[in-house]
Amino acid sequence: MTVDHRHPSADDPRVMLEDESELYEPIPPYAPRTEREAEFYTLGDGELFINIGPHHPATHGVMRVVMKLSGETIVDLDPVLGYLHRGVEKLCENADLHHTIAYLDPLEYVSSLFCEWPAVMAYEKLLDVEVPRRAEYIRVLTGELNRVSSHLLAMGFHALDLGGLTPILYSFIERDEIVEMLASITGQRMLFNYFRIGGVNGDLNHEFMSRLGDWMSRATEQVEANVGLLNENEIFVRRNRDIGVMDAETALRMCWTGPNLRASGVPYDIRRAHPYSIYPEIDFDIPTRQEGDSLARYLLRVDEVKQSLRIIDQCLHQMPDGPVMAKVPRLLRPRPGRSWAAVEGPRGEYGVYVVSDGTDQPFRFRIHDPSFLHLQSFGRLLPGKLIADWMTVNASLDPIMGGIDK
Amino acid sequence: MDRALKSRLEDRFGDVLAGPVRQRHDETEIRIEPGDVPDVLRALHDEPAFGFGLLADLAGVDTGETMQVVYHLWSETTPDWLRVMAINLDRESPRVPTVVPVWPGAEWLEREAYDMFGIVFEGNRDLRRIFMPADYRSFPLRKDFYLPDDAARSPGGGVRPMEATHAPRNAAAGTVRKVRG
Amino acid sequence: MEVTRDDAAGLGTGPADATAMGSDQPGNVPGALVVRDATAVAAPIVVRNELWSAADPAAYDGGRPSDVTHLREVEASGIAARDDARWSGILEVIPTKADYVLDLLRANSLWPLLSGLACCAFEMMSSATSKNDIDRFGMFPFRASPRQADVLIVAGTLTTKMAGPLVRLWEQMPEPKWCVAMGDCTCSGGRYKRSYATVEGIDRVMPVDVYVPGCPPRPEGLIYGMMKLQQLVKDRRGHWPERAVGPTVPEGV
Repeated sequence: MTVDHRHPSADDPRVMLEDESELYEPIPPYAPRTEREAEFYTLGDGELFINIGPHHPATHGVMRVVMKLSGETIVDLDPVLGYLHRGVEKLCENADLHHTIAYLDPLEYVSSLFCEWPAVMAYEKLLDVEVPRRAEYIRVLTGELNRVSSHLLAMGFHALDLGGLTPILYSFIERDEIVEMLASITGQRMLFNYFRIGGVNGDLNHEFMSRLGDWMSRATEQVEANVGLLNENEIFVRRNRDIGVMDAETALRMCWTGPNLRASGVPYDIRRAHPYSIYPEIDFDIPTRQEGDSLARYLLRVDEVKQSLRIIDQCLHQMPDGPVMAKVPRLLRPRPGRSWAAVEGPRGEYGVYVVSDGTDQPFRFRIHDPSFLHLQSFGRLLPGKLIADWMTVNASLDPIMGGIDK
Repeated sequence: MDRALKSRLEDRFGDVLAGPVRQRHDETEIRIEPGDVPDVLRALHDEPAFGFGLLADLAGVDTGETMQVVYHLWSETTPDWLRVMAINLDRESPRVPTVVPVWPGAEWLEREAYDMFGIVFEGNRDLRRIFMPADYRSFPLRKDFYLPDDAARSPGGGVRPMEATHAPRNAAAGTVRKVRG
Repeated sequence: MEVTRDDAAGLGTGPADATAMGSDQPGNVPGALVVRDATAVAAPIVVRNELWSAADPAAYDGGRPSDVTHLREVEASGIAARDDARWSGILEVIPTKADYVLDLLRANSLWPLLSGLACCAFEMMSSATSKNDIDRFGMFPFRASPRQADVLIVAGTLTTKMAGPLVRLWEQMPEPKWCVAMGDCTCSGGRYKRSYATVEGIDRVMPVDVYVPGCPPRPEGLIYGMMKLQQLVKDRRGHWPERAVGPTVPEGV
């Protein structure tokens, strides 16, 4: 059915779509182009397709999943991405080095500082800039605050996707407080644009320290109270236990990183495996769990929040005085070459690969996002489970579509 | 910077390396021809002396004259990141064998490289577009992507012509930005 | 480089256009720093409206170009307080008391559709949760189904792939409906204006009533935008009957 949109009726806004049929059909309107597509889009006996998304209340963003179901049991899944693809890598190729940092913020928007961090590290390697120690401490401090906020939000959304409407409110209270703290030094509640090549944009100030002090004094009990809602909730535990089990070997082969990998038993954390910044001087543990199910991923994030609070505490006590920005020329021309840097973000390894041609624009700016690879594993974790289990696995993997789609 | 890693790589892969092993800060870089990609990466993954179990990234690069596929690997045996660059892919029809048998997680990374550059990964069972719509005709991250092409058909009404925004500054229209190495 | 131009046709028409040359390039004069007399006013860039016409020919001063060029003159003349854009068509009748009550009901229980696409969604959720509570305005239920929603708050970048589904959502919403463009990306394309895959502002594909700029706008900013929307509802103004679809930012800017 095609509607001629060049002559809109009185009820239709002017829409520049040519064929609307493709918007409803889960099956693409062309012959399958790959083996996997052919295999997926042929229906067996008693199977049907359901299209989930791209607009759906699971708040991880705009993602579309085509599910092949037999009754309510998932037979196979095909995630369709790209609904938030903004062309960031191409935009960064035409931007100054400093502008690229601002382009990176909206990728993983709940943990923006971790998006900026590998870029500034890669540039600092290309420019051979040494970052002052106070700037490194501030980076770690604000980064860990961002990690706490991101994990608490992940826990809140985990519960929200399963139907619990209360924990998200508690998460947002904590997130609002942390974000106001960071706004007092960065100027922005969300897309901070705080890290610079050679340091950070501004020093800590009184408002930040007083807010941080208030928050730290009750952070531990607050986090305990918030997670206490869920840890022993029978519905939550039964919906999460043994759902989406990923073993260590397969997780490594599927290029998983971050809390999802550590919940499957592999104690890989870039902060310890490939230390950067001042993490060697800070004492913290790497929580690891062996079960690999959704409940383990949730509990691991709780443990990581506690470790982050330890790190913040040590940063506050050990912070040296000094400049917060190295002396870096305004017009930066890095040497021609290639540079890779990766940090441990709340979702995993966040990496940036920069190819420089000697001008002040990066020649190739590659962003590696961890959630991209986590989503790939739906096809391994979910066949044989119910649709509700897809929701659980999706929430426990904690994807952020801004980063996935770039 | 791990000097021992450099000598181990030269001993093991000396005959297939297409250039010297370079090291800078905490990265070690080797270059290989695209046909050697599955053997070298499988060796790096399986052999216990190397043990590069984690594929950190798979990226395509358009240098303006050739294409490259760049793999970043991590191993517990060395404190360095290892960068494996498959160089000298033909820019008009780039083809590289896939590493999906070693890391099944590379399937989507290869899809992304195909979507953005047009690099065909031979052996990938699912090489279709991942970010752009399935009927998109161009490869956006190529250096000659200046045309409005498919954007004009989009519901957005067509963005401005790319010549006004993405052409290199102070350069004639149609020049392709190049890089050495 | 000329800063004052009288013709709008020269804007953004090619690679050598003045607006495309970076002011930090050697040889280019940074246009904004041209020193002028402090009381001089640059000639305004006037782009004639060819997209739509108001149903009431007397609206918007009858289409006369404005002869007021400075903000203090605008404020002194009181033009801003006199806005003639009213709903037309079958709603031309003078609103009765019943209509007034209906408008109050609509304004105080605007149910948004969950249309959080990207980062602005988080500030929208933050405005919906405890600290900045839009439940006190009646906007708590973020409906998942467009059939039950009043206002579409588009929060986040609209990409060309998502434009189709989003317009479909807008079409599925029953009238009366309003649209709020939250965030820079939906107002004008934002920081992704030069990208190959984004729609430069949702007003290219759907009529927008309230623009809330910011990247992302603070929750207080969104609440201010929603209160403006409530005022719009009570004044019976809005774009959806007139179907004013088209870019509000002139080409080339």
